[in-house]
Amino acid sequence: MSAALQGLPRTVLRLHRTALLVWTAAVAALTGWLLWLNEVTAGSVLASLARCRHADMCRDVFAGLGYSEPTAWIGTLVCYSFLAVAAFAGGALIGRELESGTARLAWTQGVTPIRWLTAKLALPALAVTAGGTVLVLMYRWGWGAHRSLMGDHWSTGDVFVARGPLTVAYGLCALAVGTLAALLLRRTLAALGSAVAAMWLVNLLLTQYRADLWPALTRTSRKPFTLPAGAWQVREGRNAGGDFAVYHPASHFWPLHLVETGVVLALTTLVTTAAFLVLRRRAA
Amino acid sequence: MSAATASAAVRAPAARPRTARWLLRLHRPALVVWTALVILGAALLLWLAGPLTDAAAEGWRQYNACKWSEKCPYAQDAILRYKDVYNYLTLSLAALPFLVAAWAGAALTGRELESGTARLAWTQGITPVRWLVTRLALPAAAVAAGTSLLVFLHHRAWSAADGRVDTAKNWYDFWTFHTNGPTTVALALAALAAGALTGLALGRALPALAVSVVLTAGVWGLAQWLMPHLWPAVTRVTSLEHGYAAPYSGVDVAKGLAIRGGGHIPEPECYAATTEGCARIFRERGAVGWFHAYHPASHYWPLQLTTSAFLLALAALFTLAAFRVLRRLSGSLRAGKGATA
Repeated sequence: MSAALQGLPRTVLRLHRTALLVWTAAVAALTGWLLWLNEVTAGSVLASLARCRHADMCRDVFAGLGYSEPTAWIGTLVCYSFLAVAAFAGGALIGRELESGTARLAWTQGVTPIRWLTAKLALPALAVTAGGTVLVLMYRWGWGAHRSLMGDHWSTGDVFVARGPLTVAYGLCALAVGTLAALLLRRTLAALGSAVAAMWLVNLLLTQYRADLWPALTRTSRKPFTLPAGAWQVREGRNAGGDFAVYHPASHFWPLHLVETGVVLALTTLVTTAAFLVLRRRAA
Repeated sequence: MSAATASAAVRAPAARPRTARWLLRLHRPALVVWTALVILGAALLLWLAGPLTDAAAEGWRQYNACKWSEKCPYAQDAILRYKDVYNYLTLSLAALPFLVAAWAGAALTGRELESGTARLAWTQGITPVRWLVTRLALPAAAVAAGTSLLVFLHHRAWSAADGRVDTAKNWYDFWTFHTNGPTTVALALAALAAGALTGLALGRALPALAVSVVLTAGVWGLAQWLMPHLWPAVTRVTSLEHGYAAPYSGVDVAKGLAIRGGGHIPEPECYAATTEGCARIFRERGAVGWFHAYHPASHYWPLQLTTSAFLLALAALFTLAAFRVLRRLSGSLRAGKGATA
């Protein structure tokens, strides 16, 4: 039995070798792309814009797009990487094993179902956390390196997620949701599809109510006013006191980000507990 | 599901196999999901074309009546809601072919080969060719019908706002162009064929799912890249002082300087202080004017139809390749039977 337990992490690694390779390659590719954009592309764009500054007529106004568009795409990919994790967890990690019966076979070979699921979750969780951390650190550096070339804002949906631990939290949540979907449905494709749909919905809902996760500031004035630089305006209108604007200053990024991370991690814990409870019923 | 097919096949070996009915039974969840998606999309597009567009158009009428005056009330919410719903629907419609690719790669052929139910079916009086023909024809009909309805309704919603809602997308907008016409239907059919091919070639559901989606993305990128070159563009030459003809009003193909003798060169960088200064420098290099090759709105249908034809040709190519792979697979099946006999 002890031999089986020692071999369990190795079995999980061996079985999901391809997924680990793809994930590592994706992290490496995004890291390399960010390095290239900030070390090579940004330099030539800045040089071109500098030449422009001495001329009234300049046709290089779109030169910055070669930098800003790929950078925006990288943010989108980092943020939504959790959808790939959901597909993997629902499909290959748990769903396929339950559908083909290899999970039940493993449970008869000295591996208890609880240990089986723990190993199945722990190793991918480690990979998601490690890869996600690298992506977030690289993206934070790349996003901040050449702000003058970018037109986006810290409150933009995917930028907000990709600039902190929320990326990792969504990845872990996707792992748990995929696992629960697979344990409930016991069919690969159905679990894959519903896990992706469920995670997309969770993200959509939290994006919708993101601004409410930390108290916003309100400014009311009878005279025209401008909000501080970098503020995220949530609402504006007019009341008895004059014009008002509800906004989050740039300093609210971390409170907002960490509260949402907490919400996603709480959901992850709930879903993981539910997955173990379902497993106990299935295995009994 | 696959067990149901298998047991039905075993129970009535003498009866004529009803491949179409089995296929429908086997993929009933997929058919239900697809129908639900199409109905939901159609309802949302009708909602967009009617009340949402009317409200946004009214908002823009109020806004334009303000003539830039300070604090003039207008229905901003209606305008923003229209924009959000339009963008979400356009992107969802553009994503449908990828959903088809994922399903076709995994469920249509890949899973059946992986679990062995395909080989079982081939021993029960269904020839492999007939097996694949049914597997392609019925989903192709469902995919074509569903996406055709949705692009028709999308085009209807888009034209309802054209000229009334100031933020409505141009006909040549990257996503709107495709979701307004048959290229999306053709891409969905190519995705179906690509999925069937990867499922047969790889013989495993999940790898086929991933490869099929990537292959479809490649097909889409290729079509996107070829699209402006599939129909002769209109070329306008304008004077050096005038600037480019009709910028931002169509699909750009090429821009640059027209030089003496009728040739074209790419636009050189010019850092002169005035427009006239640049014109003088360009003239010294032999330039006579700006040339701009682009597709005006009248090229919408030729571009749509040529791009669709290209995508359908790729779909045919994938289908042909799928049958070739199938012949190899069923050939090995026959060889195996011969060896055991």
